Amino acid sequence: MAHDHHLDIPIDSFRLPSATWTHVRNVLVATTVVGWGACLAGYLQDHDQFSRSYLVAFLATIFMALGGMLFVMIQHLTNSAWSVTVRRFMESLMMSLPVGAILFIPIALNVHSLYVWSLPGGVAHFSGGKASYLNERFFVIRAFIYFLIWTALSWRLWAISRKQDETKSASLCYSAAKVSAPGVFFLFITATLAAFDWNMSINPHWYSTIYGVYCITGGAWGFFACLILICMRLRANGILTHSITVEHYHDLGKWQFALTAFWAYIAFSQYMLIWYANMPEETIYYKVRMEGTWRLLTLALPLIHFIFPFFLLIARPAKRTLSILSFISVYVLIVHYLDVYWMIMPNYAKSGIQFHWMDLAALVAVVGTFGFFFWQRLKDAPIVPEGDPRLAKSLRFHNV
Amino acid sequence: MAQMTQELLEKDRLALEEMNQPLITGNPSYHDVTRVVSQIVEVRTAKIWWMALGITGGITGLLFSMLGYLVWNGIGVWGNNSPVGWGWDITNFVFWIGIGHAGTLISAILFLFRQKWRTSINRFAEAMTLFAVACAGIYPAFHVGRPWRAYWLFPIPIADHGMWQNFRSPLEWDVFAVSTYATVSLLFWFVGLIPDLAILRDRATTKFRRIAYGVLSLGWRSSSEHWKNYEKAYTILAGISTPLVLSVHTIVSFDFAVAILPGWHTTIFPPYFVAGAIFSGFAMVVTLMVIARWVFKVEHIITMKHLENMCKVMVATGTIVGYAYATEFFIAWYSGNQYEQFTFINRATGPYAWAYWTMISCNVLSPQVFWFKKMRTCIPVMFVISIIVNIGMWFERFVIIATSLHRDFLPSSWGYFRPTIVDILTFFGTFGLFITLFLLFLRFLPMIAVQEVKGTLAADKH
Repeated sequence: MAHDHHLDIPIDSFRLPSATWTHVRNVLVATTVVGWGACLAGYLQDHDQFSRSYLVAFLATIFMALGGMLFVMIQHLTNSAWSVTVRRFMESLMMSLPVGAILFIPIALNVHSLYVWSLPGGVAHFSGGKASYLNERFFVIRAFIYFLIWTALSWRLWAISRKQDETKSASLCYSAAKVSAPGVFFLFITATLAAFDWNMSINPHWYSTIYGVYCITGGAWGFFACLILICMRLRANGILTHSITVEHYHDLGKWQFALTAFWAYIAFSQYMLIWYANMPEETIYYKVRMEGTWRLLTLALPLIHFIFPFFLLIARPAKRTLSILSFISVYVLIVHYLDVYWMIMPNYAKSGIQFHWMDLAALVAVVGTFGFFFWQRLKDAPIVPEGDPRLAKSLRFHNV
Repeated sequence: MAQMTQELLEKDRLALEEMNQPLITGNPSYHDVTRVVSQIVEVRTAKIWWMALGITGGITGLLFSMLGYLVWNGIGVWGNNSPVGWGWDITNFVFWIGIGHAGTLISAILFLFRQKWRTSINRFAEAMTLFAVACAGIYPAFHVGRPWRAYWLFPIPIADHGMWQNFRSPLEWDVFAVSTYATVSLLFWFVGLIPDLAILRDRATTKFRRIAYGVLSLGWRSSSEHWKNYEKAYTILAGISTPLVLSVHTIVSFDFAVAILPGWHTTIFPPYFVAGAIFSGFAMVVTLMVIARWVFKVEHIITMKHLENMCKVMVATGTIVGYAYATEFFIAWYSGNQYEQFTFINRATGPYAWAYWTMISCNVLSPQVFWFKKMRTCIPVMFVISIIVNIGMWFERFVIIATSLHRDFLPSSWGYFRPTIVDILTFFGTFGLFITLFLLFLRFLPMIAVQEVKGTLAADKH
């Protein structure tokens, strides 16, 4: 920087202590192995239940990783300085996307348990050319294309950021922005289609144009909670305590708040228009979600996904009190899971909510796997993009 | 090798330079900013201004005579008729309301996002918001047929003969949404103006000016207490305005989307309309800004960086609109619903194909040139594109309205909408009103938020 100020704040180590790293890695490996073991046992017991539990776990997490990629790109595009100290965690969450391609395999192998259109005669009563879209082969090809694009984008952004750690070259900020601009475009298109394919086509007759935006927003909401939680856990262990300050938490809290409102806006738009027009082919979506105990979750969702977090986070002190923010991020992750559960499960369990131990097993396996790779990335890499010329600004950052 | 390193260093130097590029160029002093902006309203009225006002005033006169003609003869003088019961009136209403959104986005949302580049352009864009809302309001007020009874839209207990408003209609929600929007925008604009009005008061050379600006500046003395209250009020108003950016156009989209008509009823309408509104608003800001900064020689305050950022917003929102068009089309196909499919295929290939493809070319294709920095920083290009975008966004509303209505479920009642000369002249007239109000604004109020720009200048200097 042309006029670098003297940094009068204590500087943290930007590396994870190796003992801490190994310890967490071991915990992750153990949990993941247990999770997959349980999944295997469950799969042998009940194909269908495993596939469905697994799909919920997979979708709840993969859209968070997409949210991560979206926000890495937004930081680059807006030349954002405040977020530099938390960006490395965003980036490593984004790097879950290539791993997602492997985690997608159980879904590709169990299409018959998940999607009625894949069953013999399942598409027979589709009019138009829908069968040419909803068929197993094209479904897998599309998923492959999505992961190809996501992998290419996330690898490229990660590589640029890592290169900057070493060269400290300012022009790499622009290289990242150049990837991000078309990146956001491709991310939106592919994530929308993925939401249509993986979530919406479970009921192949139902459709909603806003559905992609709904899934992306929900994922981004969960992503911020995840990011806050990671920073908080490290902070509790004395890591980056001076680099990620209450000012950064305040801004992360603002994003959590903004996305709470935005999710509500999108969810309301969908509900309102379907309710008002009252056409059976659309209202079926909410009708099945008002059956049995699903009704409870349907009615609770506006309260737990919007009203409560919205009014909690609206106050400035809430976003600056780390214990509250820490609570809300755990809360958000639970509610985000419930939201995805609510999108998927009523298609199968029509009589009401039936939580199954495999829901938990699949979640542990998927989150554990993502977590393992997330953590692996932070072994050698600095946990803050130390070569970014905006780092000094970020360290000094203050909300006014 | 050495040469490569050299090249890289040069690239980094340029990158850093660009990253820390000041928003205001030429390093003016605080006083320079005050002087440059205040002088615009202090110098003797230029002849050209009178000439411009004469022309736009004439066009405004045309608007009012058309409206008078309408009231005298009835709504039949417009082209609306079965099956296209909503024609240019609601198209123009949505068009003008949309224009206003850039002002609110710039003043409220960009403020909350700490986007400092908003400061040179916010006043201008907010003024545009108010004038656009004024133009928009004309259409529903006159479409009721008896505008002297337009107050029936409000749930006033004294309303005549036990009339009850239809609270189930999004048109009624529009009344609340738009009037709230107009009120909050006016307050926000006025609160922001107070410190600048005080500058004009203090610089006033005539008694009349001193009194007029003195009354308007509400006793502003620039004390730290005043500033503290001011900033609190400003932040609160920004917070209140932010949901309004979304709510107004969301409800406008409900006007269509709550219906069961294919082409109108689709769940993506609310965010899609909001993005389109911001898109058209930014285009209008660019159109007017390019002229104003040149005429008033404030190119160092409203710099290329501001214009470039606006072009970036245009390519982003234009592409979001494109995303919405594509999603609608895809889902119409995916739904397997033949009425949905017919509507969209008819849009692209039917009698209104010309309008549809105008919309696609103007809104989705034309802003794509802004992917290139050369284009984003070329004033003639951005001026032309901004006008093209405004044309495209008008067509978007027209396409949504006319193509969805003109061929409904019964082929025997199919038709084709043609505007009458009254439609055309009324719409033309609203531009006269819009520009007249703008000229008055430029003449009597500081077009740039002087005090805020000084804040940006301070940030640049440190």
